[in-house]
Amino acid sequence: MAQVLTARNLAIRVLLCLAVLAVVMCVCALVGSQKISLKKVFAGPGRSPGENIDYEILVGIRLPRVVLAALVGAALACSGVVLQAILRNPLADPYILGISSGAGLGVIIAVISGITWSFCGGSPLSVFAFAGALATVWLVWFVGHFTGKAQVTSLLLAGVVINAFFSAVIMFLTSIARSDQVYSTIFWLMGNITEKNLSVLVVSAGCILAGTIGLFGVSQRLNILSLGEQEAKGLGVDTAKIQIVAFALAAFITAIAVSLSGLVGFVGLVVPHGVRLVAGPDHRQLLPISAIIGGAFLVAADTLARMIVSPAQLPVGVITAIAGGPFFLVLLARYSRKISWLK
Amino acid sequence: MSSIIEVKDLSFAYAPHSRILEDVSFDVGAGAFLSVAGPNGAGKTTLLNLLCGLLGPQAGSIMIDTAPIQSYSARRLAQKIAVVRQEFVPVFDFTVVEVVSMARTPYLGTFGFDGKIDRDAINQALEATDTAQFARRSLRSLSGGERQRVFIARALAQNTAIMLLDEPTSFLDLKHQVGIYDLLKAAQLEKGKTIVAITHDINLAAQYCDQILLLTGRKPPMQGRENGAQNHPSYLIGKAKDIFSPEQIEKVFGVRVFAGKVGKENFFIPLGRFAKDSGQASIS
Repeated sequence: MAQVLTARNLAIRVLLCLAVLAVVMCVCALVGSQKISLKKVFAGPGRSPGENIDYEILVGIRLPRVVLAALVGAALACSGVVLQAILRNPLADPYILGISSGAGLGVIIAVISGITWSFCGGSPLSVFAFAGALATVWLVWFVGHFTGKAQVTSLLLAGVVINAFFSAVIMFLTSIARSDQVYSTIFWLMGNITEKNLSVLVVSAGCILAGTIGLFGVSQRLNILSLGEQEAKGLGVDTAKIQIVAFALAAFITAIAVSLSGLVGFVGLVVPHGVRLVAGPDHRQLLPISAIIGGAFLVAADTLARMIVSPAQLPVGVITAIAGGPFFLVLLARYSRKISWLK
Repeated sequence: MSSIIEVKDLSFAYAPHSRILEDVSFDVGAGAFLSVAGPNGAGKTTLLNLLCGLLGPQAGSIMIDTAPIQSYSARRLAQKIAVVRQEFVPVFDFTVVEVVSMARTPYLGTFGFDGKIDRDAINQALEATDTAQFARRSLRSLSGGERQRVFIARALAQNTAIMLLDEPTSFLDLKHQVGIYDLLKAAQLEKGKTIVAITHDINLAAQYCDQILLLTGRKPPMQGRENGAQNHPSYLIGKAKDIFSPEQIEKVFGVRVFAGKVGKENFFIPLGRFAKDSGQASIS
């Protein structure tokens, strides 16, 4: 008899992937320009600051950074899966509907105006990137629904137009900014995992986890939605409600990821495709596994970014693009027979 | 036989003053097989979209199992009506069993995992349509006829009283056309399904269906509608032998046909301007 995905099978696969993520996180936390002795780490923090440097580097610097990379990778991969499903477009990524340009605009405004506001421990750049991303997504959604009934096409067109317009504004602001302001903006645009304080990490982790669980709750409906609206309605799916919920949650977790790390490219496009090629397109499985693999991928990429030109660091966006491209091509060559849109 | 679909004075227009359906009334008995025929643009797909709740009636009413269609939630309606649309290929590469299991969506809880009842329904539908053999294959790797069988399997797994189909045999060769209609007839006779199928093949419709709804595409003139409605009906409903005649087909479809008989059943062959011996063809 034919097998369908069961909760038990999914739980086993997710646990296996979590084990892989845990191994990747542990290994990546232990490697770096400063060698760490596990024996010293297990000895504890010591009585005064500086007494056990290995412990402080691992617990105070590397672990938060590894957790941050895992969170950002998970959010971007998850968002990529969802946007590809609701837009029924394999080229969709988390930034397709204007989040990148909105966040970028927010950042350059924060940089040029020299604002020093912060919120929940987040830097002004993070706060402005988050606000810019969400405001732009709302604008794209509003324009997409205002302009036409063919919602998916209207949304995509609205996203492209607003992206182009905001990119032009960013170019204009960059051209009148000082060189140090331009440098901070460009460095941010390239995507960068840097240490955050614990409260930012905890709040972001809570939001991304909640968003991912919410998206998992609609993941079976995403399967149906990817067949088209008529088919989905015929199967009793409230398409408008699922689209709004999925779109809002995907935008929310992407905005958090962008505010934490800038524009890390490729993860949201490559990871969903890679996982889909190996595990199939069922979103109940694709979504959680993409989130975990996306996290592991970005942790590994960030480790490379801080090791390749050690003690200096590369922006992680450079590594994701350089490593992600060939990795994806290998997968593509191996599994191309499974990819419907290449035929 | 009690009616499971009751359509009364149904009208619909996509643009003002241009009604595509006008005052259409008919009943479909529980367990009946109705075929909807008519020329392009006569409103067949519009009617199907109204019957499955995708469009709302602008005038008149549609009752499904004695309750107005508007009173059903999307989920409850999907437990009553399964729709098979013209063949399509999903963007993502789902396997056959994944596509068929989607039929259980109206019965699933929040996280959407199938239980034993769902798995039994899926397996029965795969076996009834002879698609279990390629259940793990990608839908895209199948031929058009096999894909259409998978979509019918999905409709069966949805476990509804009513099945609506939009041209289920378009693009299929003769063998597969007959195969699909055999499947539908078996679903009607063995599982008691009520079937409404849009078709362009009047011969298959005549052979398999209990009733024909012929949408003529004509609208009664605005002046003197009482008389006009009789002389220019926008639809005809009845048994195939009463609806399909060479004169009626020529009037509705605008094409001459050769009519013959196999046993008691009429069949029709359309005759174009360049058809061989069309000059000598006569209506028998």
